[in-house]
Amino acid sequence: MKSPPRWANRFLEWFCNPDLLEDLQGDLYELYEQDIRNHKSWIAKFLFVWYVFRSLRYSVVQRNYRYKKSVFGMTTNNFKIAFRVLRHDKFNTGLNLVGLTIGITCFLLVGIYVGKELSFDRFHSQKEKIYRVWLKEVYAEDKIFFNSVTPLIFENILEENFDEFETVVQFDKINYLVGRGEERTDEPIGILSPEFFEVFDFEIISGNRDRPFHDRNSIIISDSYATKYFGQEMAIGGIITIQIGENLRDFNVSAIMKDIRSTSSIRFDMAISNENFLEIYGEGAMNAWFSVSPETYVLVKQHASIETVVKQIPEMVMSYLKDRVEPGVYNIGFQPLTDIHLNRDIPLGIAPVGNKDSVYILGIISVLVLAIACINYTTLSIGQSMKRSKEVGIRKVMGAYRSSLIKQYISESLLISLLATLGGVILAKLSVPLFNEITGANIILDFEPWHAVLYLGLALLIGFAAGIYPAFVLSRLNVTSILKGLNRANKNYFRKGMIVFQFVVTVFLISSTLIMQKQLDFIHSKDLGFNYQTTVSVPLYPDPSAQRLIEFIGTAMEKGEILKEKLSQYPSIKNIGMGSHVFGTAGWGNLAYTDDTETFRRFRLLAADAYYFQTFDIKMLSGRIFDPESSLDKRESIIINQVAAEYFGLNEPLGKRLPGNKFGEHSIIGVTENFNYSSLHNEVEPLVITQNINILYSGISDHDYGDSPVPKLVFQYTGIQLTEVKDILEAEWEATFPEEDLNFSFVEENMRSMYANEERLNRLVFIATIISILIASLGLLGLTVLVINTRVKEIGIRKVIGASDMSIFYLLAKSFSLQLVLGIVLSIPVTYWLMRRWLNDFAFKIDMGYDMFLLGGGISVIIALLVISFHAIKAANVNPVESLRSE
Amino acid sequence: MYKTTTYTSILYLCARNTDMKGHTIGELEELVLLGVGSLYEQAYALTILEAIKENTQRMLDVTAIHAVLRRLETKGFVSSSMGGATQERGGRRKRYFRLTQDGIHVLDEIMNVRSALYNKIPRMIFSAN
Repeated sequence: MKSPPRWANRFLEWFCNPDLLEDLQGDLYELYEQDIRNHKSWIAKFLFVWYVFRSLRYSVVQRNYRYKKSVFGMTTNNFKIAFRVLRHDKFNTGLNLVGLTIGITCFLLVGIYVGKELSFDRFHSQKEKIYRVWLKEVYAEDKIFFNSVTPLIFENILEENFDEFETVVQFDKINYLVGRGEERTDEPIGILSPEFFEVFDFEIISGNRDRPFHDRNSIIISDSYATKYFGQEMAIGGIITIQIGENLRDFNVSAIMKDIRSTSSIRFDMAISNENFLEIYGEGAMNAWFSVSPETYVLVKQHASIETVVKQIPEMVMSYLKDRVEPGVYNIGFQPLTDIHLNRDIPLGIAPVGNKDSVYILGIISVLVLAIACINYTTLSIGQSMKRSKEVGIRKVMGAYRSSLIKQYISESLLISLLATLGGVILAKLSVPLFNEITGANIILDFEPWHAVLYLGLALLIGFAAGIYPAFVLSRLNVTSILKGLNRANKNYFRKGMIVFQFVVTVFLISSTLIMQKQLDFIHSKDLGFNYQTTVSVPLYPDPSAQRLIEFIGTAMEKGEILKEKLSQYPSIKNIGMGSHVFGTAGWGNLAYTDDTETFRRFRLLAADAYYFQTFDIKMLSGRIFDPESSLDKRESIIINQVAAEYFGLNEPLGKRLPGNKFGEHSIIGVTENFNYSSLHNEVEPLVITQNINILYSGISDHDYGDSPVPKLVFQYTGIQLTEVKDILEAEWEATFPEEDLNFSFVEENMRSMYANEERLNRLVFIATIISILIASLGLLGLTVLVINTRVKEIGIRKVIGASDMSIFYLLAKSFSLQLVLGIVLSIPVTYWLMRRWLNDFAFKIDMGYDMFLLGGGISVIIALLVISFHAIKAANVNPVESLRSE
Repeated sequence: MYKTTTYTSILYLCARNTDMKGHTIGELEELVLLGVGSLYEQAYALTILEAIKENTQRMLDVTAIHAVLRRLETKGFVSSSMGGATQERGGRRKRYFRLTQDGIHVLDEIMNVRSALYNKIPRMIFSAN
């Protein structure tokens, strides 16, 4: 009779628990004997193998010594022991767990914010192949026009001249009044090439993706706008009225798009086709090379490269413009789509640009905070090596290898880090709303199944990083010296270095927060040269028939007069003025021309009435402000600021003209003191204030506006209740302009929003600081307890001999003082270097005097002393009888 | 003194708890338990398998029976002992199983519950079919 397959039998013997082997194997043999009688021998063999494999169950393998010695078995055992050890020392475990959990929470939250900033525009599947076109006109050293918005003609020109491009599309965004009758609101409208959705991955929910626009009267709206305008009704085919120029035009909704995600630079909720460009910009602009508006994006073909295009660009440009520009003047370049959000070397196009530096700073800080938490674990574990040396000794005597000891200790740190990661993820998820509220960062933390792998990886990484060194230190201990009781206190420089590092990071964060706070306080409290307290700004609406800028400003001001009259009857409203720009917005009208000495000059323009000066309390250096009664002033008087007087080289500016032939008749009647009308990131630029912009417009060659020049009504509100101003405005606005939307804001808030990025960074760093202080304090607390526990007897003896409580406390505090001092000293250069970089963003900045570092150091010393004294005082007060009696 | 009493009462609770937990057995476990009982002295994995196959026409393989037997043994419903060696089975001994008191108790309880419920079914249902 043939015996069953040997290998299967051996396999069974290998994996089976020896206690169970005999009868199991016997049963299988018996079955085999039956089978071989009833079936062909290969079937019987197959069945035997099948039963062997079916027997491979956990309950069979469980108590097999091979399993117990294997990786799986030992891991289970290690974790079981680790769990017992951790449970045994609740105080240290608690400290470590809390520290790591908070550290991981902070790391996750800040990490998500950093990740969000770095992932901008990366969700497009063809992102590697999409570039944004920039245009740089270089006429002279200081006469450079560098834009990320481009001429309209680029779409056709680039498409016709280069085979390398799959498609070229344009994107523009303009504010229009949307709606009819009573519910007109000002909405930004995207203007897109029809092929736009072939390039970008914005999702069309309903409508034809290949042909989202039916014709030039089609409009695409986002999901949330479909709800906003049509509620539950069917939005497709619905009508949305937009006023373009003088015309009220009805657009048909042809497609609905999923809301654009927050990590997109290109954002819009409504979009019409760029076939409307002709109507919007006029005939001339369609073929112009020197006026810019939309962003142009190119999609490079699969196997083509952008470099070949870049090489051909100069030749292409000259073939069109050889009569108009010198070679090298008109430069076209390409910026990768994924570069747009954080690269500040190329000017911003339509979307705002983030700050790469602050993103990196935050990224580093979040890693540092995590590192502090890991170091806590490391230092505390090393500190415990004394306590556990006996355990190590016994284990070694029993025959433990060093590697198995290392595995044992690593298991402990892994267990801690797994628990902490779990806690950290939950805590992070719960604190997202709070985090968003404090920082305005607007992050989302979703959980998807694959994140589990990520978090597990994070936990493993943290566990290894924190546990590897203590594991080596503990397992290195020499058996004989331990068991003989020779505990040489070794000077552990590594551990001390770690503590110094912790102090460096913490002190660095404290001083940085202080410096940032000081700078922001400085900005908010700096005398800007004007008064903006409780000042309200109300945007006016130009007449629908207005065509040119001068008419926009003129008709809006006329309307403003009506409102002004009504508002002036309220005693709580004072100093009502009007101006084309208001403080707190960047991008005031920027004009440029070439003067009679062939010098290229730029200046900022403000169209304002006489009362504007009173509203903001703008101080005059010499001359006078406009006279509201004087028609001469209305026609040809201008006021300049001090910088402008210097810039134009006017020593005695009063009564003089600006240097330039083509300006209309005008004369300077006053010079203002310099006031910071832009943000403090920039120096004060030359400014010209007039009531009649025509006299200036006749003499300039270029202009651009980052802020709408349509006038705003400004006034000071002296009432006590700020909410009351809203009621007044709403009532009067409703009565005066029932068809327009009321949009008012407080200038103070706008001023603040100019520093929103810095404010956010400051808050994020502040949170990181608090957390790192907390974690480092926990670590310090753990260490003091440890030090005190090992020195209980020493303290007792000292007290018996006559040491005072104070001297005992001093003794304990001294053990960390050198490391703390070293930490403070080392943190200074790091802080100084990083903060100087950050401050360089401001044209007006504080002195980073030594006081900030002293304060930062002082705070850390106080915190450290508090933490140490928490336990040290108790230890110093213990009656020596207690500590010496035992044994 | 106080401490000791609390401790014992906790231990007692624990014991009660494991006991309660053991009461629940699955359907296959029940079948195997019945098999062990019915085969009396001759109950080992293969005979139990045969018995179940015969009575239920179910396709089972012997490893499943082994697994269930091990489970029942840890729950304390059966006990096992090794039999004598024979020429068959490559000289391997058989592991014989028999019901413990707990095992019998569990079977009783199950039967009671079933028959109690069964007897409550109105007669007319049977006659209607």
